[in-house]
Amino acid sequence: MNRRGLTLIAIIGLIAYLAMGFWPDVDYGHDLPKTVDFNYHIRPILSQQCFVCHGNDPSSREADLRLDIEDGAKARLGHGGKAIVEGNINKSLLIERITSDDPKFMMPPPDSKKVMSPREIALLKKWIKQGAEWKEQWAFVTPQLPKVPLLNNNPSVSVAIDYFINDALEQKDLSIADQADRNTLIRRVSYILTGLPPTIEELDTYLNDESDSAYESMLDRYLASSGYGERWARHWMDLVRYGESMGHEGDFNISNAWEYRDYLIRAFNQDVPYDQFVLEHLAGDQITETRINPQDGYNESAIGTAYLFLGDGKHSPVNTREEESDKIDNMIEVTSKTFQALTVSCSRCHDHKFDPIPTADYYAMYGMFESTRLVPKPARMPVNRLSKADELMAVKSKIRSKVGDLLLTQLESTTQEDQRTAIQKYVAQIDKSQTIELDTSLQLLADFRAGDWEGWYTDGIAFGEHPAKGDFTIDKESKKLQELGSGFATSRHLALGVHGVLSSPNFTINKEYIAVRAAGQGGTVRIVIDNFQVIQAPLWGQLKANVDDPDWKTYILDVRLAKGRKAYLEFFSGSFERHVFDIQPDDYVDVQYAVAFSGEHDIKEKILAEQYHKEILTVEPRKAIEDWVRGESSMDQTKLVGALRQEWLPDVNTAQLSNEINQLSTLSTELYDSTHFIGMMEGEAIHSPVFNRGSFDDLSDENVPHRFLSVVSAGPDSFPQDGSGRLAWAESLVDPTNPLTSRVMVNRIWHHVFGKGIVETVDNFGLQGKMPTHPDLLNYLAITFIEEGWSIKGLIKQVLLSETFKQSSIASEENTETDPNNEMLHHYPVRRLEAEAIRDGILAAAGCLDRQMFGPSVPVHLTNFMTGRGRPRVSGPLDSYGRRSIYRSVRRNFIPPLMQTFDMPIPFSTFGKRNTTNVPAQSLALLNDPFIHEQAEYWAQNILSLESASLEERINTIYKRAFSREATQDEQRQAVQFLELQAAAHGSSLEQLKDSDLLWKDYCHSIFNLKEFIHLL
Amino acid sequence: MSPINYCKHRMSRREMLTLSRNGFGSLALFGLLNPSVSQAATYKVAGGIGGGQIPHFPPKAKSVIFLYMDGGVSQVDSFDYKPLLEKENGKDPKFSVDATQFNSNGKLLKSYWDFKQYGDSGMWFSNLFPHIATCADDIAMINSMYSEFPEHTNANYYLHTGIGIQGRPSMGAWVTYGLGSENEQLPGYVVLNGGLTPPGGLDNFKNGFLPATYQASVLRPGDTPLANITPLEETSILQAEKLKFMNIMDQSLLNRIGDVDQIESTISNYELAFKMQSSIPELADLSGETAATQSLYGLDSEDKHCRSYGAQCLLARRLVERGVRFIELTCPNVGHDRWDQHANLKEGHEANAHAVDQPIAGLLKDLKSRGLLESTLVVFSGEFGRTPFAQKGKKPGRDHNPQAFSTWFAGAGIKGGVIYGKTDEYGYRAIENRTSIHDLHATMLHLMGIDHVKQTYRFGGRDIRLTDVHGHVVHGILDA
Repeated sequence: MNRRGLTLIAIIGLIAYLAMGFWPDVDYGHDLPKTVDFNYHIRPILSQQCFVCHGNDPSSREADLRLDIEDGAKARLGHGGKAIVEGNINKSLLIERITSDDPKFMMPPPDSKKVMSPREIALLKKWIKQGAEWKEQWAFVTPQLPKVPLLNNNPSVSVAIDYFINDALEQKDLSIADQADRNTLIRRVSYILTGLPPTIEELDTYLNDESDSAYESMLDRYLASSGYGERWARHWMDLVRYGESMGHEGDFNISNAWEYRDYLIRAFNQDVPYDQFVLEHLAGDQITETRINPQDGYNESAIGTAYLFLGDGKHSPVNTREEESDKIDNMIEVTSKTFQALTVSCSRCHDHKFDPIPTADYYAMYGMFESTRLVPKPARMPVNRLSKADELMAVKSKIRSKVGDLLLTQLESTTQEDQRTAIQKYVAQIDKSQTIELDTSLQLLADFRAGDWEGWYTDGIAFGEHPAKGDFTIDKESKKLQELGSGFATSRHLALGVHGVLSSPNFTINKEYIAVRAAGQGGTVRIVIDNFQVIQAPLWGQLKANVDDPDWKTYILDVRLAKGRKAYLEFFSGSFERHVFDIQPDDYVDVQYAVAFSGEHDIKEKILAEQYHKEILTVEPRKAIEDWVRGESSMDQTKLVGALRQEWLPDVNTAQLSNEINQLSTLSTELYDSTHFIGMMEGEAIHSPVFNRGSFDDLSDENVPHRFLSVVSAGPDSFPQDGSGRLAWAESLVDPTNPLTSRVMVNRIWHHVFGKGIVETVDNFGLQGKMPTHPDLLNYLAITFIEEGWSIKGLIKQVLLSETFKQSSIASEENTETDPNNEMLHHYPVRRLEAEAIRDGILAAAGCLDRQMFGPSVPVHLTNFMTGRGRPRVSGPLDSYGRRSIYRSVRRNFIPPLMQTFDMPIPFSTFGKRNTTNVPAQSLALLNDPFIHEQAEYWAQNILSLESASLEERINTIYKRAFSREATQDEQRQAVQFLELQAAAHGSSLEQLKDSDLLWKDYCHSIFNLKEFIHLL
Repeated sequence: MSPINYCKHRMSRREMLTLSRNGFGSLALFGLLNPSVSQAATYKVAGGIGGGQIPHFPPKAKSVIFLYMDGGVSQVDSFDYKPLLEKENGKDPKFSVDATQFNSNGKLLKSYWDFKQYGDSGMWFSNLFPHIATCADDIAMINSMYSEFPEHTNANYYLHTGIGIQGRPSMGAWVTYGLGSENEQLPGYVVLNGGLTPPGGLDNFKNGFLPATYQASVLRPGDTPLANITPLEETSILQAEKLKFMNIMDQSLLNRIGDVDQIESTISNYELAFKMQSSIPELADLSGETAATQSLYGLDSEDKHCRSYGAQCLLARRLVERGVRFIELTCPNVGHDRWDQHANLKEGHEANAHAVDQPIAGLLKDLKSRGLLESTLVVFSGEFGRTPFAQKGKKPGRDHNPQAFSTWFAGAGIKGGVIYGKTDEYGYRAIENRTSIHDLHATMLHLMGIDHVKQTYRFGGRDIRLTDVHGHVVHGILDA
């Protein structure tokens, strides 16, 4: 029996002992570490065995005893004595308790179903004997550069890595493995950096390069290749639960989620510093140092915020508040795990049982996301085109100035009497019979006829700085200048088809309907209840109206189901059709006012009487014109100017203005952009109360201010309380004193390079996570990462330059004996490739890989087994056009089976570490999936198209494509033998079939099925 | 089971070449690969994983058949008889009404169907289920079930995974994670998809954060019951030669790099996959069943949906015989959108009931006569119930109601003829012995020998269990 068998028997034996309720009488003395360390040895025991009742959470705390903090553990207890007395196990009541067998006295108590092992007891005893030194949880302490002589010489990072690894190996009498051969190395590097096998050209270039820098040049080539971003973006997508549909019943689209995927690919390829990358995710819409796409000139930064919207969601929640709390819970979980490897979501119902994360931290984050609004934004609008907006405003100002001059001239030559007549004529035009006065039956939400935003929020440039004030616009058809009017909010403040959102402060729904006076084309008026956006039947379809009429109309939104709910109103150009946003060049929306009312009400038919500027007759005309020209007129002044202009200059298309008209005409078409993504905008600050026991309908009295995680002392001294606080939260993440951000990221990089992190639990650095195997190395890398400008590529390169990385994957027997799990990295760990790398590798080998980058996702290929609601109407092609897997659509309810079988995670939460399973469905897929067979056939045809190649050459080519090496003699022989046998099975001979793709397909198909093909050596 | 070092037992070339070349039967390749590997590569899990020694106590049930009633059967039209509804038919409800999915609540609506009492216990059944009613004395009826969600997807995830969100391990995954499969060649968790995938999709049957090994294998009616189960080679020998070649090359890889668990187990998976190519079609082939058996399940019914559901029920029995742990049946597509009758209650419920009634009764009787019912737990449940008042419309229906529904258990460890829990007099809310989905799960696990509190899996820093932090075994329906 081999070693594994023995271990298994040992474990079974141990379990048997446990089940029988007693422990073998073993002396653990020889087995204990020389110095018992609190972080490594003690806290894990206390956390596992004691914290549920003696931890951070007061609601479940027993006997008023805390063992999670030193002050608690060493304090005098109510009934006398101390749990832990430094250096004295006899006086330490903890020892008395854990060694007792009296069910009423012993700890952990029998009903907890926890059992303290003899080793754990021995460790605790030894630790107390040694003085019970308490240490802070390593992960919450800012890393210090390890005190190691080597570091004084300022070594390269890769040399330092090898130092730390070797040092740890030596301590355990382990040794590093030999270096892997060049063929193995290039295949390893290529897959790790790009997720693809090397091409034959790449292979030959490297193998033929005899210079000392051959390896480094090869690394540089892969780091610079587009495949690098595609590979590492996919890793990141696992963290932010990237999906393109919402799952649940309808599996509705998440509008243009792929823009975020492309953003990631570009960001990794451009090696955006990680701190910038983090800032962009949480506050890309707010940071001042925005990143401009070097090629196409658009603002990249804001697209990072799209990650928040990529979770699942349902279309008709009966309780929107509950849905909101579930969605925000997911945002908290994903954000805290991704950036801090902390499980803040465990603090939803009570203070974290293990980590120092109070419930208030959870609700501080809750308030941050609750204050964040998700809106459509232009994705790839060049910044220099945005500057056209300024030009356009300048032209408009010029027009105002010229019109103003004309009016002033007229004013000179007109008597006051005539002026008054003109104004009175205008006033007389106002039809009061159709108006209705504001009274208590109406709740005014906004009246833009007053001329300002009244505290509303704008996003994008469409709505400008104030409602329309007698500006001019170009009529698209006639190309003529016309007055836009005044006294309403408008998205065509600049031009038609401009992206932008106008949204209200929060208010509580206490009426049954909302009336919105609006006009437009392809515009939207909607109400967002509890941040719920998936507006449609059966319950919530009445929450929005598409505005598609250039004449003023009153749109009625039915909010009867939402009484008592928090809400805001939102207007934007463009519209959602089945949850996909679309904006056309002529789209706009104008809004005069919005009021809430109940029951039948005249407001449906009548117009709300204007509450303002009734003083038009008392306005001084000259000043009004001058103020208007400067763009500073009040609404009364604006109206007066409008009245005069109507009288004196009914058609503004005069020869004097022809230049400006032409300029305006051209500029008006340049602000349209068809691209979009759903990203964050700021709304009204909400400070959430704590939900008692996590229940959304049981709220505490006090609201939690916005703040960063309390265990981490990083970020601004005074945390801003207006807005969402996202920017300050993000700044706290990238503050160099934040003990987690850098460590978490370098650990993720290490994980992807070696298949296992220095901290194995890559998404949990809390007390329930694993301890680092190489703490000094982790600290060193974390500090270096920041010092080197947070360069991900830079760090990856250094790791790949290390001898540690270049080791062969063959383990020596001695090393394996000592360290069977390869914790210390005494060889490079063999591992199975990820689902995407397997599929992409197949396409690459077969010569069918299409390297086209970016763009909308390729629809998923549907099999008969992929059923259920929301099934796409059209199936994508079997081979997804040969595109890389990252460009295939990620529909939550229709994930490609091949991907799922090979452990691509279901995107519901952060998955920094994928499972690697072995299931027969994987073998069945590689054996019988039509896609695999099809690719084998293409590969065969491809191989046969090589001119006058011998059998041997064909086999070598296949080997080079699949394994980055030539076949050995034995492999050549086996191949020929297989071809012979298979030809016979086809009822023929190799001689006859040697150029037949039928035969070669069988061979290529077998190659796909070899374990070497789907593993990284 | 003792894992044996694969490398040291590699076969000689001569042994390889003695391979029979006649056909695809599992015997054909038996011995092609190392027999010791074939032992390692099975669905069978020795002992238990995930929570110490599983089973925690002697199990009553070896297998579970979960009859999922997609969309929500109306309790007041099936098993929960409410005479008051007849009296107050057409009146406004006197009780306070929760928000509903369609918010189109009408008057109280009496049942279209007559109720009668059956069996020694006098259990009520409406005449929607005349066949199942004859099994009353084997059934423990819980009339006081409630859920937390009035929407299908959350309620489905809740019913299947114990939590109302997407992505968590399904109950079948938890069971197989704990117990493995009794059969080496079949997965431990099988979903028989009779036509309808529940809202929320295949995620109802997934492994969540558990290893993918524990996800359901979805079998469909037809020639290809399982994805990729049918070889595409024209003859069996063409695939066999490939497998042989792969094995040689894979072994030479192991020779080169040494024992690597990951690669060894990948190799052994091929053995199992190969066997499944014959065991799955054999399993799905019902032609060997007697005419009497087929008839018992309704395979000779004039109703094609009854025939198709009957075939699934029969297949479920065959899976139980083969030691599969957890079998879920989804509903046939009778053309009325599952049991989800927001409108057209009468026609919809009748068509659904007719499709499943005889097959389910047939299954219970067949299991019983073969002595399998004592080791098989059969559970009949929707994700929630329906309102006792109508959903407005020309042909009225009933809206979702998570506050009350009926679920029944039969078989292993279940006390037949028990009626457990009560709803109010309208059947709107469970009021006595209220039984949650967590309780259902706890009871199910209990009967399989698993303490639901002890079976945990560490994910995201928490030890997570199927029942979250809730759940009590419903002892009132258990055989003492």
